[in-house]
Amino acid sequence: MLLAKLALGFGGIVAAAGVYTFHEGVMRVDEDHSNGRHVHVWLPAAIVPMALYVIPGRHFARAASQAGPWLPTVRALTKELKKYPEAELVEVEDSNQHVHIRTHHGKLLIDVRNSDETVHVACPLAMIEDVSRELEAKAPGV
Amino acid sequence: MNYPARRLTEKMALALASSLLVAVLLVPPAFAQASPATASAPSQGASASSHDRWLHVRVSNPGSHDETVRVNVPLELAEKVLPTINKDRLHSGKVRFDDIDCHGVDLRALADAVRTSKDGEFVTVQNKDSDVRVAKQNGMLFVHVFEKNHPKRSQVEVKVPMKVVDALFSAGKDELDLVAALHALSSQGDTELVSVKDQENTVRVWLDSKNVTD
Repeated sequence: MLLAKLALGFGGIVAAAGVYTFHEGVMRVDEDHSNGRHVHVWLPAAIVPMALYVIPGRHFARAASQAGPWLPTVRALTKELKKYPEAELVEVEDSNQHVHIRTHHGKLLIDVRNSDETVHVACPLAMIEDVSRELEAKAPGV
Repeated sequence: MNYPARRLTEKMALALASSLLVAVLLVPPAFAQASPATASAPSQGASASSHDRWLHVRVSNPGSHDETVRVNVPLELAEKVLPTINKDRLHSGKVRFDDIDCHGVDLRALADAVRTSKDGEFVTVQNKDSDVRVAKQNGMLFVHVFEKNHPKRSQVEVKVPMKVVDALFSAGKDELDLVAALHALSSQGDTELVSVKDQENTVRVWLDSKNVTD
């Protein structure tokens, strides 16, 4: 009886934690190279801003200062893009490559395809905004 | 069913229901968008974009189909993002220029002269190589350049609302106010602003309320 209650309570917590973890969606990076190398990274978007807290301060400060001048732009861009959840923004196509940037379901999707590699990036806009805000807060002089 | 088993079943049902309730309360927009209930997300975007003005740029090679570029930018987005970029001559949505860029021509005075003058043709050049025409008509500034042969046959048409020209020169001396120009542009109806055609490429820049090109 007690075990059943514990299991149910644990199950409920796991379900709630799962829902919270994925509430911002998933960040995906998929790279497929012609040499057979494949990189696939799928991360719950809510984890990424949290991960910034565990990065050693000196590395973080350096990254933040390098990105600093562009952080307000990134934040403004993501904030505005959230108003356009379904939009075709840029498409460049020639005989060798295809670059496609769009928003879909509140995510920024970047697809690059050429003869050597295929790269797909899907980033929830909310996550980009969170990360840029976090970096901006820690970037000196921004 | 005996009594403990029934109690256990009730508690399981209660716990499951509360877990579901928590899940529903915390259910994210990201999941909601994936569900059929939010299949209206695009239409929400469409309804938002129906009031928005989009600037479109399209570069294509009708002959070879080698390269196609399509850019669609919401004017409101450009208005908000441009002021955040501070790089080289671009600061706070304004571009600084100097006399060297203009080869000694006072652009502001030129714009003032065009604005205050009546409708008509200001420049007409016709020779064996090219035709050039600059005119103002019904609050629009038209520039037409037609290269007949050299270096290659090409045609350039530019149509800019005078309100946009005024807004562009509304900043301080030696500055062009891009944000003010975009804002002025957003009040315009659907219009083609730039069209360039030569033997290889076609470039179009136009304004409408659609968030996709054709």
